This record gives sequence, C-alpha cells and structure tokens, in this order.
Amino acid sequence: MTKDQIQARFLLNWPGFSLDIDLTLPGRGVSALFGQSGSGKTTLLRCMAGLERAGQGFLSFKDEIWQNGKTWLPPHRRPIGYVFQEASLFPHLSVLNNLQYGRKRIPEARQTDLDPIIDLFGIGHLLDRKPDRLSGGERQRVGIARALAVNPRLLLMDEPLSALDSARKQEILPYLEKLRDRLDIPIVYVSHSPDEVARLADYLVAMNNGKVVTHGPLKETLARIDLPIRLGEEAGVVLDAVVAERDPQWHLAKLDFPGGSLWTRDKGIALGRRVRVRVLARDISLACDNREHSSIQNVLPGEVEAITDDEHPGLALVSVKVGPSVLVARLTKRAAHRLEITPGQAVWLQIKSVALME
Amino acid sequence: MILSTGDLQAVILTLELALVVTAVLFVAGTPIAWWLARTKSRWKGPIGAVVALPLVLPPSVLGFYLLLAMGPNGPVGRLTNALGIDPLPFTFEGLVLASVFYSLPFMVQPLQNAFEAIGDRPLEAAATLRASPLNAFFTVALPLALPGFLTAGVLTFAHTVGEFGVVLMIGGNIPGITRVASVQIYDHVEALEYGEAHSLAAVMLIFSFLVLLTVYAWRPGAKKA
Amino acid sequence: MKTIQILLLTVCCLAASLAHAEKIVIAAASDLKFALDEIAAEFRKAHPDDTIEIVYGSSGKFFTQIQQDAPYDLYFSADIGFPKQLAQNGFAASEIKPYAVGRIVLWSAQMDASKLTLKNLTDSSITRIAIANPKHAPYGKRAEEALRSTGMWASVEPKLVYGENIAHTAQFVQTGNARIGIIALSLALNPELAGQGGHYLIPDTLHEPLAQGYIITKRAADNILAERFAAYVDSKPAREVMTRYGFTLPTKDK
Repeated sequence: MTKDQIQARFLLNWPGFSLDIDLTLPGRGVSALFGQSGSGKTTLLRCMAGLERAGQGFLSFKDEIWQNGKTWLPPHRRPIGYVFQEASLFPHLSVLNNLQYGRKRIPEARQTDLDPIIDLFGIGHLLDRKPDRLSGGERQRVGIARALAVNPRLLLMDEPLSALDSARKQEILPYLEKLRDRLDIPIVYVSHSPDEVARLADYLVAMNNGKVVTHGPLKETLARIDLPIRLGEEAGVVLDAVVAERDPQWHLAKLDFPGGSLWTRDKGIALGRRVRVRVLARDISLACDNREHSSIQNVLPGEVEAITDDEHPGLALVSVKVGPSVLVARLTKRAAHRLEITPGQAVWLQIKSVALME
Repeated sequence: MILSTGDLQAVILTLELALVVTAVLFVAGTPIAWWLARTKSRWKGPIGAVVALPLVLPPSVLGFYLLLAMGPNGPVGRLTNALGIDPLPFTFEGLVLASVFYSLPFMVQPLQNAFEAIGDRPLEAAATLRASPLNAFFTVALPLALPGFLTAGVLTFAHTVGEFGVVLMIGGNIPGITRVASVQIYDHVEALEYGEAHSLAAVMLIFSFLVLLTVYAWRPGAKKA
Repeated sequence: MKTIQILLLTVCCLAASLAHAEKIVIAAASDLKFALDEIAAEFRKAHPDDTIEIVYGSSGKFFTQIQQDAPYDLYFSADIGFPKQLAQNGFAASEIKPYAVGRIVLWSAQMDASKLTLKNLTDSSITRIAIANPKHAPYGKRAEEALRSTGMWASVEPKLVYGENIAHTAQFVQTGNARIGIIALSLALNPELAGQGGHYLIPDTLHEPLAQGYIITKRAADNILAERFAAYVDSKPAREVMTRYGFTLPTKDK
C-alpha cells in the first residue's frame, strides 16, 4: 500500500502559524499543493525537503522512511530536486557549473547525461554565462534543469512561476508540461494559481491555515462545488479529451470527452491526441430548453447534480452531470430561482468558451 | 639608508607580527563569524558584544589587564606555568596573543556581515544539491563572502601594524622581539629624535598606503571601469 | 537709580573676588606623584579659594609641550637638563631651583631586595629585569650607567625589559612579570610598594647624578600664586615631605 506513495505527517507550531498535516500523495504524476499565501503550502514542501524540521513529523517516500520519531534525514541526503521561487542560482558559478554542482555530488552510478536536460529547457547557448546575465525566464529554466541534474527521485517545486510576469509564465509552462509528460518521478508543485494547477496537476491538495482542506484527483476535486476551495473567477472543471475531428473550413476542432463533445479553435493539434480541456464556470450558462438560434454552438444536455452558494451572495454554483463527467456553471441566485434549478432537473448547458491546454 | 638598523628591525618585526596575527585570526575568527551570522540562539547578542569589546577598551587598559592575566598570578600565566611553557609577557608569542584579542572584532565583524549578506537561500539550494553543510560552506559561502574576507584581512593587518598601547604595556620594548615600529617611533619622539621619528613614520605610512592600494585595486569581483 | 547702584556694587565685588581667586597648572615628573600631592594638599589649606591642578607625566614630554605653549605654570622635571634647556630657549620666568637628587634602587615584589646587590642580577634564577627605557627616561639612563660601570651590562642586557617610564617599569615588577627591577627610590618608598618588599639603594658613585629641578614658566611670569607655590616648595614643611619620599636635598657641594 505504501510502496508507491508518499506519506507525510507534520505538526508545527510557530508564533502566529501552525501546520497540521496528515497526507498521502501518489507516487507518480504531479501533485499540486494549492492555497493562498500563508496557507502553509511552502512550509509543507520545505518539511518534505528537510529544509524545515518539524518537531513531530513523519515522512516516508515509497519504501524509505525519511523522518520519524527516531530518524531525520538531512536535506543533502534526500534524493530530491528542489526548485525555489526565485531560481537561486549560485552567482559565482556559470550556468554549466551550476548544473554540475549537484551532479558532481551524486554517486557516479546515478549520474545522468546533462545534454537531454539542457536540450529540454533550451539553455545550451547559456552555459558559459553567469546568472546575473540571464533573464528571469532563463534563470528559472536553469534552476529547474539544475534540480533535475541530480537525477532526483522526487521533484519539489515551490511556486516556480510566481516571480515571473505572464509572458514569461506562458514561455515556461510548456517546458513544465513536457516535464510532466516525460518524467517518471513524482512532482510536488506548490502554487496559488488555479491556471497552473489546472494545466499541470494530476492530484490536487487544497490547503488553508496550515491544514489540508481537501485532496483528491484533480478533475474530481475541481468538480466538487461543496468543498471550500476558493477559486473565485477561476472556478471550473478540467476534462480529459481527445481530438476527434478537425474542420478545415471553419478552423475548428472537435474534442471528445466522456459524455459529450466540444468544438473549439483549431490549434493545429493532431487527430487522436489526448488533451486537457478547461471549462470555467463563468463561461457556462444554463437553459431549460435548447436554443438553437444562438451564437453559442457548444450546447450539451445534462442533469443538475447540486447547487451551492458562490463567494458573492448574489451568485450560485451549479454542478451538472454530462454523462460520466461533471461540469460547473455559475448563475445568479435570481436566475437559479426563476429557472427553478433543482437537483435531478434536466437542463441544457451553453458553453461559451473552452480553453484547450496543450 | 633612510632607516637605521634598529628602525629596520622594528619594521620587519611589525610586519611579521601583523602577518601572523592576521593568519591566526583568519582561522580563529571565521568559525566565530559564521556562528554569529547563522545562529538563532539567545547567546548571539552577548557573544557579539564580547567580541566587540576590544573596540571600546582603551588599548593600554587592555594591555594592562592582559599583563596581569599573563603574569605569574594570572589565569593565563598559571596555565603556561603548569604546561611548562615560558611566560608570555615580553615575548613575540605574547604579543601575538594580545594582538589576536585586540584585533578580533576587525576580523569577525566584516566576516559576519559578509556571511549575513549571503542569506539562507544559497546554502539551502546547496543542501538540496547534495552538499553537506561543511561542503556548502567551502563551495558556496566562502566564495560568496570573499570580498568580506579581503576587508577583514586588510583591516586586521592594518590594525595590528598600528597597534601601540597594548604592545607598550606587555611588550617590554625588547629590540628584535617586541620593539615594533609604533613603539620605535614613540621612543624617537620621547628622546627628542624628531628626524628619525619623521623618517620611520613616513616609511610606515607609505608602505601601508601601497599595501592598501594594491589590495583594494585587486579586489576580486570589482567592476571594471 | 537704586538698581544701577546695586548692579555696579555686585560687579565690583565679583571683580574683586575674581581678582583674588587664582589658578595654577603644574606639570610634574611621574615619580613625584605622592610627594607633590601631599605638598599641594597642605598648600591648599592656606589658599582655599585658589585652584591648584597637577598633571603627572614624562619630563621629556612636558619639555616639548611647554615649548609649544602648553598651559603649564610650573614644571618639575626629573632631569634638570630640561629646565636648563627651557631657560636657554627663553621659556623660563624664574631661576632653576633644584628640588632633589634622584636615586635608583633594586626592588622586587617576589624577593626581599634589601638583601641583594647588583651582582645578584646575574643569577640564573632571575630571568627578567625591568628598567626604564634608557633612550629617554632619566632613571633608565642612570640604571644603564650603573650596570655598565659595574661591568654587568653585557651579561644582564639579554634579560632586560624596558618600561616607557618609571611608573610603567614598576608595574612590570609589581605584577611579577619581571622578577626584579631598577626603579626610583621615591617609588620604592611608597607604602604600597614598600609593603610588598624592601629595596637596595644603588650607590650613587656608579652613575651620573640625577639632579632634579623646577621652574616657573614664562607663561606664568605674572602669576602671584605660581610664585607663592614655588616658594612654598622650598620651605621647611615641604622639604620634610620631600625627604620622607626619598627626594633628598642636594648637598651644598653640588
């Protein structure tokens, strides 16, 4: 049972802050620690790395115990890679020496070739430069590459994109997606950005005030409107879909997901490719009948599952089953009242916009 | 020869003393500075204050108490006696010990500042990259603190060269052993030998200036104009 | 009208009292400390409104400073050569009056020096001997002369440590760092040192005389208080104090 999982139990009490965690993470894929600043997600990550020492803690990684009542493995003995929020490259070393710093210190048997990593992040032309001559985006790519260069068995990333502007973020996100796809090892990813989480995570851990509020596979957890996850404008679901059809005349692509299909802009993705699709609650409206003369082309039949209050007193969230999938719509309470939205009711979902994450 | 043999002897002795004291303090002061920079213990304040004490004590006062301490009735004197070592006052080794105390803050404080300026992050990064704390110190902290080491070394060296009050109290002014340049100049002045005093003082000044100039111009990491 | 009268009266009285209250600053060789303090204390009893300040230090330093207009009104020097030089350079306002002939002694805090002679300095049990720096301290010069005239200089020199002035030299011996030293008689007679050990008076035939004298400086030429004090030092009660502290009067032949 624990052979392929990460188990973490930490109890921390600092003035003004406490951490109380009992968590099991999958041993593969990206697990996101999500929450606002101060929710404890970075502290939890640091505890896992051994950079903070929780007086009472337990940490096991697959079949190894890194911390319990009797033992505590110091960070330099844990087979981890850690990416900090601001790269934190060594200013006195060139990019290449930064990459080799950790790599030199692992047993030769475990050393991997640096070239694939350098290629993956496109930093080959930067190897001789010192960090002060790199842009923010370049520095972060080198930081991630450096963490991978030690051939870690667990990759810990602390809000690696937070310190970047949106253009840089968009530049690096694809690298992270490639990483997620190619890497065999588990990644724990701390973030307060729903967009990053939606794009990268397989498993979601939502935190608040030093405690875990909810956790579970990403898609299921996002669809559960009964949980107090504060997503605000970013409330919505993530669906696994396949590119089923491409319409060259209208430059549209059809994405099939369990329960239905959605048309979206054709981004040139090949047929048969698996993709993630994000549908925000604010982009879905509900209707009691199927309006055919409307600019909204994505209309799906579904059954109301549940209604809850949204953050603003005038709004409500409605989860709707479409086949085996669940989508979430945001309505005003007045609209819900007028349409008499109740669980079990048959409704039509009008989906104005679909975000294809690739 | 601008300087007499006695003067030259005093100059060489001064340089020997300054070099030895600086070397000793590099070794002794670095761990103290590192601890002070990194510790969260409540002893940080008191120990930092003790290290800074030589800054506020008048040198002759410090010298006097060291004389008492190293003498036959003092704690250090009794220790040297018990170990069968010759008593420390009036010896070069005694001067080194006294100067180490007197110049301690000049080595520790710049180093402490340099270590503090590094912050925790580079060392945490090193730890996540498999470097043990000792290894991280030598491969990350030391290189990043190099300008601090330079400042500390120069200050300590210069401070020891200029030392007078402490040496006067416990040196005994023995030619070739404890008669350093500062005392030699003082003796010239006391004996109204102003010409010799001027010459020796000028030589010390020019030499020190040249040393400082070379060291500061060569500072690693100094931006090229 | 009345107010102005009162005001004028007050001013006159103040001026009168100021005219009576005088001040002198005395520069004196360090070895005079105990003797001169006592003499000044007696003098103050007769002059309660006046200010007498004494600064102790090295005779050579005062010599230099007085020529740079240092604010000293009287100068007591452990080497009469300095006041003589000052007079030649026009800095003296009075004749040079000798006040003592200094004597050197052997003294130790660890042994009874009264049972020793200079010959004992070559003993191997004595590892360090303190003398004042002969280069510029009068007592040090005399110590060196005595050691040379007894032919001991060569064997004793490697064991010597030099104090900057006679008080500093005594400190070396007092703290036990030098087993024995050649210091001023006046210091050895001081109760604190005398209590720790006796002294051996080194024969004055072995060295040049250490004639000590004082002057009123040019700056105090019109200072009545300075004149009074200079005269008091020469008076019988003051001479008794001096003798008690080992500052013996020069004999008539000298």
